[in-house]
Amino acid sequence: MSINRLIWQSLKKNIRSYYLYVFALIFSAALYFAFVTLQFDPALDTMSGTAKGSAGIYTGSVLLIAIVTVFLLYANNLFIKRRSKEIGLFQLIGMTKGKIFRILSIENSVLYAGSIVIGIFLGFAGSKLIKLIFFQITGIDQVAALNFSAKATGQTLLVFLIIYLFIMVMNYLFINRQSVLSLFQIRSKSENVKKMSIMQILIGIIGIGLIMTGYYLSTKLFSGDIDNQLFFAMLSILGSVIIGTYLFFKGSVSFILQLIRKSKAGYLSINNVLSLSSIMFRMKSNAVLLTVITTVSALAIGLLSLTYISYYSMEKSAQQIAPNDFSLTDADDANSFKEELNAEQIEYEETRIDFITVRADITDALESAPSNFNGELENTRIVVVSDQATADINVSPDEAALTGVGGSSSQFLSFQEEGNITLSSQTSTIDAHYIESKERSLLPRIQSLNFPVVVVDDRDYQQLEKSLDPDIQGAFGYEYIGIDIADDDQLSQANAIFQDWDNEEKNPAYSYLESVNQQKQQLGLTMFIVGFLGLTFLITSGCILYFKQMDESEEEKPTYTILRKLGFTQDDLVRGIWYKQLFNFGIPLILGLLHSYFAVKSGWFIFGTEMLTPTVIVMAIYTVLYSIFGVLSVRYYKRVIREAL
Amino acid sequence: MLQAMKIHKSFGNKFNKQEVLKGIDINVDKGEFVSIMGASGSGKTTLLNVLSSIDRVNRGTIIIQGQELTSMKDKQLATFRKHHLGFIFQEYNLLDTLTVKENILLPLSVNNVSKKGANQTFKEVTDELGIYDIRNKYPNELSGGQKQRTSAARAFIHEPSIIFADEPTGALDSKSASDLLDKLNNLNHTRDATIVMVTHDPVAASYSGRVVFIKDGQMYTQLNKGDQTRKTFLKDIMTTQGVLGGVYNEH
Repeated sequence: MSINRLIWQSLKKNIRSYYLYVFALIFSAALYFAFVTLQFDPALDTMSGTAKGSAGIYTGSVLLIAIVTVFLLYANNLFIKRRSKEIGLFQLIGMTKGKIFRILSIENSVLYAGSIVIGIFLGFAGSKLIKLIFFQITGIDQVAALNFSAKATGQTLLVFLIIYLFIMVMNYLFINRQSVLSLFQIRSKSENVKKMSIMQILIGIIGIGLIMTGYYLSTKLFSGDIDNQLFFAMLSILGSVIIGTYLFFKGSVSFILQLIRKSKAGYLSINNVLSLSSIMFRMKSNAVLLTVITTVSALAIGLLSLTYISYYSMEKSAQQIAPNDFSLTDADDANSFKEELNAEQIEYEETRIDFITVRADITDALESAPSNFNGELENTRIVVVSDQATADINVSPDEAALTGVGGSSSQFLSFQEEGNITLSSQTSTIDAHYIESKERSLLPRIQSLNFPVVVVDDRDYQQLEKSLDPDIQGAFGYEYIGIDIADDDQLSQANAIFQDWDNEEKNPAYSYLESVNQQKQQLGLTMFIVGFLGLTFLITSGCILYFKQMDESEEEKPTYTILRKLGFTQDDLVRGIWYKQLFNFGIPLILGLLHSYFAVKSGWFIFGTEMLTPTVIVMAIYTVLYSIFGVLSVRYYKRVIREAL
Repeated sequence: MLQAMKIHKSFGNKFNKQEVLKGIDINVDKGEFVSIMGASGSGKTTLLNVLSSIDRVNRGTIIIQGQELTSMKDKQLATFRKHHLGFIFQEYNLLDTLTVKENILLPLSVNNVSKKGANQTFKEVTDELGIYDIRNKYPNELSGGQKQRTSAARAFIHEPSIIFADEPTGALDSKSASDLLDKLNNLNHTRDATIVMVTHDPVAASYSGRVVFIKDGQMYTQLNKGDQTRKTFLKDIMTTQGVLGGVYNEH
């Protein structure tokens, strides 16, 4: 058999058994290519912050390379170990190490070249879809054209060439380091099966304890009990959760399973045999890997959730910046803009609100005492509006309504649905009982001091207005003009007029549409990049778990042989494997989801106004994609079981 | 108890066929302890595999306890093994991740025997084999002899109709080997268990009541122990093996 034939044969065999590796290789190449294509796409220049757009994508692509490189190195490491016997055999029949290295290199180069060509092709085909998604979520109005970028191709080839060389170096070191004997023994090392020691029980309990502590601290993070040591608190949460996760895999899992097992008094069902007893010993030896996967998954899910939260809350945030289609803070400006609109014969409705700033005591209105609110609760500044200025709010004397509740101020202060608030000017004081609180803002953020606005009866308003304290009035005037375009079809035309009309010399003015678009571009870009990276990470970590299971299934093949000889059917065994994979994939997933849930919960309000829906959506998608690998691994197990007898 | 008629088994494909079993007939009665001997390559392990339903025959019929194995489906075979067959292997075949007790009770959990009944039988069998005290250890903490006795206990625990042993003493030193065979012999008598054992060791075979010699896939001859002592039976076996080997050498 010539060397070429040898290479060809082992390639054929490898592709069949490592199809997922090849898939991962193709997938990474395709993903990277599509990503880089986007980076060089002319359409990206149309984004408002041009430099920022391509810089973001560039950073993303670097991270993408990092993930892919680590993954490929790891996978290669697993595979060369699987083939150690073959390498040992080659050496035994007198091949030099150099020659074996050459065989491996040629084999890998064929595998790589093939995968990357297919990957680039798929990436090219898929780049239109990816562009479409990108334009959709960033709101860029462009046609997603399919154009082949030579620059992107060059970069992809270069990056994967470097990764390939890296892997060759690893292989070279591996072959050189090992003796023939150790190559034959690599796969025969068995799991260290020992009785549970006191030490391990302790580790198990400490692990769970640390995770719980981390979770507990995270709920306290922004609630004010930890004031000045925020950074220290974050570090200790991170530390205790990560160490806790490691100890959890190292000890807690076997500890809990041991307890279950004890309760069965030696009488184990087939499901128990395949899942409990095997996982007990294996999780321990994979503790580091599982900790990394769990932590990074948690990070990925957390970041995805947070960016999606801000994307999801985008329109609400825009409403806080610009309550009406166009929000102006000066009457003269408003007149000049209205003239522009009149010239184009665009009809509009005008809302005019006068407002004053007074002192307020809000202590009784809060649900709980806030912590890191830098101001005095008894004597805080608040903006007051008369109910005559609002169309839909009408209150009696000594009554009030709160508007703009639940904005970014709600991270520190949460108002009750109904409550008492004391408003005072220099000479008069009004005890108002507010009967409703609305999320909608009346005034733009800069005028409302980024705080809820109180609507009071006109009589009360007049009284307060008489003796205003000039020192506490806001810097952006005392009147607000909101303009709503009557016909939605003319909105974009009006927006264009606004863009031309607005300049820096004027008082602050905002367009709702413009705020949404701007946020859409920024958040959309972030979400796109984070999503892309998250997906890559998900697939690579899923693959790694799958490869691990592949190895495990082959190591456990003798067990299946015994069990089948004892009279368990294939179906019995497969049922046991489902059970086992539920744990194998489920434990890291659930732990990762819990970690990210607590992470998101502790600080989500900084990013947006709605937590539950976006987080649940992200987690559900992640879970579904992740489960695919669990299902694939069961399929592999099925094959091993079928061949076991 | 066990009747096998005209069993044929071959491996390989149409063009490169190797016939391993060429029409063997074998009968085992209830409570018998039968050894199957033969040189390596004579087909004795294949014979054991087909008799114990792990492998299928090409032609011929095998009947155990009135049930014909050769016509059963895979699932039925698994159920049959579960209820009627016990196994002892050369490499012990214990599950490393289970304790001795869990390993032994495994066949019972398939058959849904109650926990109480299981514990009762467990105590009896392990006492007889002298492994009750090590019941909470893991296999890698045991000696070869202890492992093999655990394997034997697993074969006996669900009181199968017939027990198949494939070179049970192959990996044991002579002291543990004779120890184990003594125990097997005892169980054969006290529990009236039927045992079919494959071995190439004449000493091991001399513990059984009957020895069947096979050669080139066919039955060569068989010896009955009858009232002889083990020593004289061993001598007989060795003579026959010598003849068998001698004929083989003439080729």
